[in-house]
Amino acid sequence: MSDDILLSLANVESSYGPIKAIRGVSLKVRKGEIATVLGSNGAGKSTILKTISGVLDPTRGTVMFKGADITGHDPAEIVRGGLAHVPEGREVFPLLSVHDNLLMGAYTRSDKDGVARDIEQVYTYFPILRERERQDAGLLSGGQQQMLSISRALMARPELILLDEPSLGLSPKLTKEIFEIVVRINRERGTTILLVEQNANMALNAADYGYVLENGRIVMEDRCEVLREKDDIREFYLGMKDTGVRGERRWKKKKTWR
Amino acid sequence: MTSLASPIITSRRPGWVVETLPFDTVPKMFWQRVDELGSAIMMRQKDLGLWRAYSWADVGLIVSEIGAGLVSLGFAPGQVASVLANTCREWVWADLAVQSMGGVCNGIYPTDAASQVEYLCVDSSSVFLFVEDDEQLDKYLENRDRLPLVQRVIVFDMEGLHKLDDPAVISLDALRALGRTYLKLQPQLVQQRLGTRGPADVAVLVYTSGTTGRPKGAMITHSNICSSLAAGSSSLFEGLPMGGERVAFLPLCHIAERMVGEYVSILRKSTINFVENPETVFENLREVQPVVFFAVPRVWEKVYSTVAITIREAGKLQQLAYAWAVGEGAALVKLTEAGQAPGALQRLRYWLARKLVINNVRRMVGLDRVQLALTGAAPISPALIRWYQAIGVPLREGWGMTETTGGGTITPIGAGKPGSIGVPGPGVEMRISEQGEILMRGGSVFSGYLNLPEKTAEAIDADGWLHTGDVGRVDADGYFYITDRMKDIIITAGGKNVTPSEWENQLKFSPYVTDAVVIGDKRAYLSCLVMIDEDNVAQWAQHRDVQFSDFKSLCRAPEVVNLIGEQIDKVNKEFARVEQIKQFRLIEQRLTAEDEELTPTMKLKRSLVNRKYAELIEGMYSAKAA
Repeated sequence: MSDDILLSLANVESSYGPIKAIRGVSLKVRKGEIATVLGSNGAGKSTILKTISGVLDPTRGTVMFKGADITGHDPAEIVRGGLAHVPEGREVFPLLSVHDNLLMGAYTRSDKDGVARDIEQVYTYFPILRERERQDAGLLSGGQQQMLSISRALMARPELILLDEPSLGLSPKLTKEIFEIVVRINRERGTTILLVEQNANMALNAADYGYVLENGRIVMEDRCEVLREKDDIREFYLGMKDTGVRGERRWKKKKTWR
Repeated sequence: MTSLASPIITSRRPGWVVETLPFDTVPKMFWQRVDELGSAIMMRQKDLGLWRAYSWADVGLIVSEIGAGLVSLGFAPGQVASVLANTCREWVWADLAVQSMGGVCNGIYPTDAASQVEYLCVDSSSVFLFVEDDEQLDKYLENRDRLPLVQRVIVFDMEGLHKLDDPAVISLDALRALGRTYLKLQPQLVQQRLGTRGPADVAVLVYTSGTTGRPKGAMITHSNICSSLAAGSSSLFEGLPMGGERVAFLPLCHIAERMVGEYVSILRKSTINFVENPETVFENLREVQPVVFFAVPRVWEKVYSTVAITIREAGKLQQLAYAWAVGEGAALVKLTEAGQAPGALQRLRYWLARKLVINNVRRMVGLDRVQLALTGAAPISPALIRWYQAIGVPLREGWGMTETTGGGTITPIGAGKPGSIGVPGPGVEMRISEQGEILMRGGSVFSGYLNLPEKTAEAIDADGWLHTGDVGRVDADGYFYITDRMKDIIITAGGKNVTPSEWENQLKFSPYVTDAVVIGDKRAYLSCLVMIDEDNVAQWAQHRDVQFSDFKSLCRAPEVVNLIGEQIDKVNKEFARVEQIKQFRLIEQRLTAEDEELTPTMKLKRSLVNRKYAELIEGMYSAKAA
């Protein structure tokens, strides 16, 4: 059982100064699956990812990756270990070309042939990047930047990708396309993905296993097809509610998380 | 079997007398206060972050408009109107308006489901229904076909309903406008209607939570309420001045807050401050710093655990200072309980502890000005009472029930006995029956259950004694002690009588346990179901690196099960072998006030829990898992 667990967090707490952003999170990501963490603004989703990738040191708890303790390790070392982080808001290098951005992603690698093959492969995932190969990344549209940022993470040949809100600021159509590619990457390359999303509908359809985070704590976890049917998820995350006798219902039910 | 009967006990405390009241109905009391106090402030409620005040005259005007509006729509004396809302100013306005017009007011819990609302409206024959907002309105609309008696539904807060066009629904403002017009034609309406009611008429209906079967509507007359008030002033307040700030937040449909929060406040000329919503109680408490604070044990427990947790996270110096100061207080409490006077040096040390530490704690929780602190409606742990006394909050315990209009016993100031519910208030007689049941007689004993004469006859015997259903004893000083509810007594397969709540209350003192239900009727041994305190257990688990995600996984963590097991073992040590718990299970579902397993005062319903968790319970008896 524990063999197929790629990443696990145990009682992780992280703070920004005196403000505790996550207050004891335990979760597991199995090898080869897409796991997702749902939550509203400020629930602590991004903090979880930052803590995993070493950008933020937790005040408590442990992060285990491939059976080794990586808590508070240097981010670069963690990337070398096979864990790449696609940050929220894309964060491409705007003054470098698309191609150079991809090379930056492969910074930790020394196999030039492999890198070239991987660049070819990401171009097949996102053909538009090949067309813009020599352009500055700053000139790309938001969706293209998101594609680039995912591709750049792939260049490190990670076993696990942390994906922070890929749908942010994108049109529904683009969001759908990006999610399709994410699933494709997972299926074709066997890359495990931990996805953090506000777009619960997209995330629950793409992922295998989901956690719901509220106020820095996990309140619910289950397989996504089960989560999709839960009343609280339907009402608070998917915006589906019975309209009641009047045909419009404004008030909210209390969350019970069961 | 030896008889458990006691002689009749009445109030013996000097100064505890039944007052003569210059009014004989609730609305007459209110209107008398309006005349006397006029522009003084009667109530406050927070609106968009600002406390909005209403004077007695303001409320008088509003109440007369609402009342006249009802009359213009056909409300006749003796008819019933129901209120379905959280505790708020409009609740009190509606209550006073209905009663001022000679009507009967019935409260419905805002946490009740639509089907329960339907049952209560039908059983009470309500002709008007006041609802708080769209959420509560929907409960009526769902079942409107089955509520032909209800002529009009009045909505307090119309937010989100402005587009609603329904002849049966009217806003409170619109009702008041109707009332204003009607009052121009009938300026003497209030006076006329006040005259239609006498002390023997029913004032309010209070449905008992009904842990078994359907809820029963207790009919409480004006005379019942006035008797309870006449006894309360001297025994409850023991010479404290009139007036002062109060915070009201418990459900007004419950007799306790209706009496203490509304009617006693009117009698005592206090200012009622309504909390914004049930979640802001502790914040509002800090803002108001009330002089009188009445709460159920669960709230007192919460205030205590807030302090305990704050201290645990504080610095070393603060922790030492707190331990010293509360220790000084506790020593003083111990001395008082033993009937000794503290020495001058000890008094000085306590004075210093108050100045340096305790007063800050009192301010932090909002109890710095409290003169009357009262708990009731459920049993409380003696240790908790001692802690409050140590920080100088004179927490007293009262016992009463719907059927006694809230009146009964109370612990006297400075002469409480921990574990005891105190002595009978003035004007009531109490005794223990041959079967050990507590009986009570007096003016505050209710007039009967609506439409249920045979249930009434079961409750009140031919000599006028109310059979309270509580089993208990009385000591030589006239202090009463409750062992359990009569119907909750468990007879094990071995024929041993066990009173479960004694055991349960001991366990509930553990910060990790919110509630527990002991099981064992006709069984070989006792077992129990435990509802954990999520906040405290989660914090405990996090502190010890016990992994968990959601509530269920928290309950399933072996460390948490062990923790509760330890708490149970600790309690078991204080009981005889047959009364010890051999097995337990945790309730893995997070329960809220909306769930049928809990009463609106958040207590587990014993019979329902027994039924609903039958499988879990069987699991404790089938396998030889012990």
